[in-house]
Formats: sequence, C-alpha cells, structure tokens
Amino acid sequence: MTIRNVRDHGQRFRPRMACLKKVESVVLEMQDPKTGVKSQTQRLVITTIPHALTGEDIVAWIANRFKIDAAEARAMGTMMVAFGYIYPLQDHKRLMLKPDTSLYRFQTPYFWPAQQWPVEDTDYAIYLAKRNIRKKGMLELYEQEQYNNLYKWMNHKWDFIVMQAKEQYRAGKERKKPDRVVFDCQERAYWVVHRPPPGTVSAMDYGHDRMVDPNIEEKKTPDYYRRIIMFTQQCIMRPRVKSSVSIGALVKYTTTYKEHDPFLHACLPSNPWLTDDVTYWTLNMPNVETPTKMRVERWTFSFGELLMDPRGRDDFRLFLKKEFSGENLAFWEACEDLKWGAAETMKEKAQQIYKTFLARGAPRWINIDGKTMDITVKGLAHPHRYVLDAAQTHIYMLMKKDSYGRYLKSPVFKETQKKAIAPEQHRFTETQLEQNAKRRRPSLSPIILRQQEEEQKAKLAASGPVDITQVMSKLERKQTK
Amino acid sequence: MPLSSNKVADDGTSAQPQQEGKAMVDSLVKVVACYRHLASCIGGCTDNSSLRRDLLQTRERAQTLAMSCRNHLTARLRDKTLAEAERKETELLWVAFSSCLELLHADMCKVFTMVKHFSLANNSTMVQTGIQGGSTEVAARALSLPDLQEAGDGSQTSSVEGQEQSQLEQEIAQVDRTLEDMELKVNVLRWTVEALGPQYGDPVSTDSASLALLSIDEEAAQGFCSRSQMFAAMMLCGVAIFAVVLSVCVVFLI
Repeated sequence: MTIRNVRDHGQRFRPRMACLKKVESVVLEMQDPKTGVKSQTQRLVITTIPHALTGEDIVAWIANRFKIDAAEARAMGTMMVAFGYIYPLQDHKRLMLKPDTSLYRFQTPYFWPAQQWPVEDTDYAIYLAKRNIRKKGMLELYEQEQYNNLYKWMNHKWDFIVMQAKEQYRAGKERKKPDRVVFDCQERAYWVVHRPPPGTVSAMDYGHDRMVDPNIEEKKTPDYYRRIIMFTQQCIMRPRVKSSVSIGALVKYTTTYKEHDPFLHACLPSNPWLTDDVTYWTLNMPNVETPTKMRVERWTFSFGELLMDPRGRDDFRLFLKKEFSGENLAFWEACEDLKWGAAETMKEKAQQIYKTFLARGAPRWINIDGKTMDITVKGLAHPHRYVLDAAQTHIYMLMKKDSYGRYLKSPVFKETQKKAIAPEQHRFTETQLEQNAKRRRPSLSPIILRQQEEEQKAKLAASGPVDITQVMSKLERKQTK
Repeated sequence: MPLSSNKVADDGTSAQPQQEGKAMVDSLVKVVACYRHLASCIGGCTDNSSLRRDLLQTRERAQTLAMSCRNHLTARLRDKTLAEAERKETELLWVAFSSCLELLHADMCKVFTMVKHFSLANNSTMVQTGIQGGSTEVAARALSLPDLQEAGDGSQTSSVEGQEQSQLEQEIAQVDRTLEDMELKVNVLRWTVEALGPQYGDPVSTDSASLALLSIDEEAAQGFCSRSQMFAAMMLCGVAIFAVVLSVCVVFLI
C-alpha cells in the first residue's frame, strides 16, 4: 500500500542503464544450442538438474565471441554474474566468475535486473519471511537485522507479507522437487544481487535518483529546439587547445598527484571508507597542530594548494608575520570574505577593506600599481561582490612570485616539514574490520564546526594585525631609547 | 489467524460479511502467489502456449476476485454504522488487499514486458533455466480446480499474441485506475493500522527433501561432508577403544 499521487518536483527516476539491454542480447546468444555455451547436468543427491555451465566454458565462449583475451573475458563474465544474469551454484554469495569447473546457471528473465522497476522492499520482506517459514533460524545476521527493520517500517502490511509468504511457499510445494530447488536458487541469487551482504557492493548501485524520467520521449517543442541551438552554438564558440598541450598538462598533473590520490595509492594510515577507521580524517582536520607529511608535500606543488589548505594558510600567515608582510595575505582573505559572504554586509565590508588596506596612509597599506588602484577606487563608488577582483589577483600574483618562494626556503616551513607525521599503514584483520564497522559514529555536527571556525577567526582578529603604524611607533620608541 | 476462530461470535450477524471479506482476500493472496510462480517461468525453457494460457486464466481469476473484494470492502468501510473493532479489522483487510493488488500490478507489468521480448510466435530464443516441469499444478491451485484439462492447441500465431498483449495492457491500465480510485474513495491512514499477526510466520510442515538438496549444495564447497565423516570415525574409534578396555578389565577380573 504505497502512496501513488505524489506530485512534487523531487528526484525519483532511476537513471538510464543501457548496459542491461546489451548484456541481455549476449545472454540470449549464449542460449543457442549450436553456437552457444555447452551445458551440463548438475548432480545433486537424489536428482539431476540440467543446464549447468562451467566457468571455463563461459570464459572460452566470451573470448571466442568478442575476440578478446582470457583475462578480459573473465572480467566480462564477472560483470554478467554481478548483474545477476548468471548465478553461481556453489559459493552463491561471491558474485564472480571463476574460470574453472565451478558451475553456473542462467537466471530466469523474471529475475533479470530492470531499469524500469525498482526492487521493492515488500518483495524482500516476503522472501525473508518465506525463508524463515521454510526453516526457522535460517536467516543470517544481516538478513535478520534487515527483517527487523522492515517489520518496523512496514508494520501495517505485515499480516499481508506473512500471508503472501505462506501462499508462495505452498504454491511452490505444488511444483516438482527439482524445479523447487531451481526456483529457490534463482530467488536467492536475485536477492544476493539486489540486497548484497555487508562488505560487498551491488552492481545495480546507481547513486542518486534523477529528476527526469529517461524512459519518456521528449516532445519536440520549439523550446526543445531552442535548447539544442544554444547548446551547439556554445560548442562552436568553445576555445580549443591542441591535444599535445592538454595531454602534456594532464600527464604533468597525474605525475605530480598520483601518490596523493586515494584511488590509485594507499591512504595513510587507512582509507576510512574502506576500513571504517577515522584516523585519517582526524589527522587531516583543518586546524590540526601537526600536519601529515603528505599534506605538507602537497603545499609544495603550487601556491594555490598552500592557500586552499587551512593549515597551510596558517603556516604561511605565521611566516609572513615574521617577515612583517602579513597585510597581503590579510587583504586576500578579506577579498575572499567579500566574494563569498552575505549580501547585506557587503557594502560595509568593502568600505572597511578600503579603509584598512587601500586608502592613502591606511594602517595596513598594500602595494598595488597605479592602474589597478584606479580601477578599484572607481569601482568602490558602486561596490559589488567582485569589485576588488583586480587588486586581489595582483596581490595573489605578488605573493606567488615573491613570498611563496621565500616561504618554501624559510625556517618556518622547514620546521613544519620536520615535525610532520607519517602514520603507519593500518593492518586490520577481518574481525577487526567488522568491529570497526559496528563502532561507526557520526562525525562532529557542522554547527559545531562552524562555531569552532568563528572562534578561530575571532582569536586571529584579536591577536592582532600588526599595522604599520604600530610597527613604526615601536621603531620610533626604540630609536628614542 | 485470529479471526477465523471467531466462529460463534456474540453478534453472529456481522461476523458473516467480515469472514466473507477475509476469505476473498485470502483467495486473492493465493492467486497472486501462484501468478508469481507462473510468471517466473516466462522466457525460460518451459515457456509454451499452455503456460501462457495458465497465466491468462490465473490473471482473469485474480481480476474477478479483486473486483468483488473491492466492492465488498469499499461498501463496508463507507458504512458509517460500523463498530470500531470491526472497522479496524476491515482496515487491515483493506491494507492487505491494496498491497496484494500492487503486487499483481507489478507482476502484470513484468509479464507484459517479458512477453513482448520472448514471443512464442516469432520463435525467439528461450533461456535455459534448468526448470523441467510444467506449470499445470500451480495453475490448478490458483483456479481451485482439482484437475486442469490440457486443451492444448499448441501453436500461437502472432495475431493471437498481439490480441493478448493489448488485452493485458488494458487490464494493467484498469488495475492502475482501480488503485487510484481506491486511494481517493476510502481514506485509510496507514500509520493507524497495526499488524495483529506475529513477526515470524509459523513454519509450515518443513519440507526436508528440497531443504536437504539445497543444504548439500551450500555445504559441499565447505567440505562439511568430510568433517562430519571424520567426526563419526572418531566417535566410532572412541567407542571401540572403550569396548576393548572393558573387555580387558573383564578378562582380568575373571
């Protein structure tokens, strides 16, 4: 009993899964008695069941059909098993194709994966209830937990679910014994694909639901054609780059960053998404005392990296404070605040920045050339978010060309590099991984994180921008002494 | 089922339509379960015209049952003079009925797509699923007939198939409309309906044969057989040693 008349603009459509139709045509080709895969009989205790295939036969057939090598054929076969078109008869929980004499069978089209219909929880509840009726206590731990959850959510239909499970079980008894076994295997394989055991991933996982139904034909209205025209015009106007140049840039990027990519290289100490252990995240918090070695290495890649990382920015600020040129960074940060901040405080912020950094005789006067200063002052008459963009870019380039190089050679940076920690790789056993999974806790609330950020900002503002007037007055006092 | 034992109730007059409704919903649930079993055979190696015919007949029976159920339950729920306890039970039946109809709708949509893909008239390839037997017993259970006569004409022409397809399409649209009407006409709040039955269904007579087949299937890979054999052998050895020790003691005593 589901709610049908939902008329809002939410995302509820499953995306296109064009691969399914392609795999289906391959599966149908495999059925051909002459050119398809050889089938054997599976011998169980009392009966024999036909139409079993060995893994090596499947791999050989695929390799022959598509003219590919054995490793690729095996990968393709594993994909077919992962989608649920072929299911293993032994070791049914691991959906992969083993190129040996282990047996597989084709799934019936009723249980094939489909794009049009989502896999309903009601059906899953009926399946679990049926298995429980057949033999009490046959459900595994994760299935037990899901059963209890479903009982809570679908309580209103629970009588129906138990009734339907019983009736399906009784209807199954009407069939002959080998057919019953085959049907049970088929159903079990279907649910291993669509409700995978913990630690495995379903091949039918598609991320978020979509806004637009991919199955409806789009009507060719004038609006549709207008959109197509705009799109093609933009394609033509796009600036083009020589492939040698763009590929060169890609190669440079990948060689620099390949050890820092968590997909291509192991994360130290361990990837939290894989091992459920959050040490990596706690070690890389924005305001941590000692950063990790990998993080410090990333700061040397480019000035942008240094500024974008909050810990890097702190380090840079410390260095500039020692050099008494902190106003550049402060101006840059103030411009960022203006760009990304709330619209109501924009005018005051712009005025404040002008008074502090740009006006003649300002306390933290920044050194920008005359032309930029002209443009900025003119723009400040009618301030908007991006009025200080030119000045900000100029200061950014100044810092990059001048201070950044000196920072990388400075004792501040060398000190940070020395103190940086390089954590050991975690080595978890299976049981430890399960324990980690059970001990998962939600991270700090974003409200608390924001409060911490605000506190830090206030502390920074209080600990004081060293303005030129203070420095000058200090120097004067020293001279007079 | 708590209601079926309510044979001699205090108010015998109102128990009768309640039991009628329950019986109708029960039979609809049974028919939908059988329909699902039949639908799982489509496109497989046992797909033939008799399976298609069984599907058609089962579907028609399900539709007639659904119509009568709907009329009965709508009438009862709209009746303002219904007692509170009765209303609760009827609402439970209503939820069961609408969930059943949704399952039937989903199965009919699936059958529609599959029949389009695996057409008998065009001799499309069928998938070798390992099923060997026919579907007559399941259909007989659905239609509550002790025996189904095999009126097989064997072949299906494409025009006959086309007709059946369009009929199925119409029936799907009709069930769709029924579900929508149901939501509009009768207001049953899902969160007020509570299930009366147990969380776990009672095990119906355990079917040891297919269980044994499946469990051997699962455990063959684990080498359970060899472990059990070793265990049995060790037990036998222990018993033999014990017997030898006893006999030696007896010999010494004598």
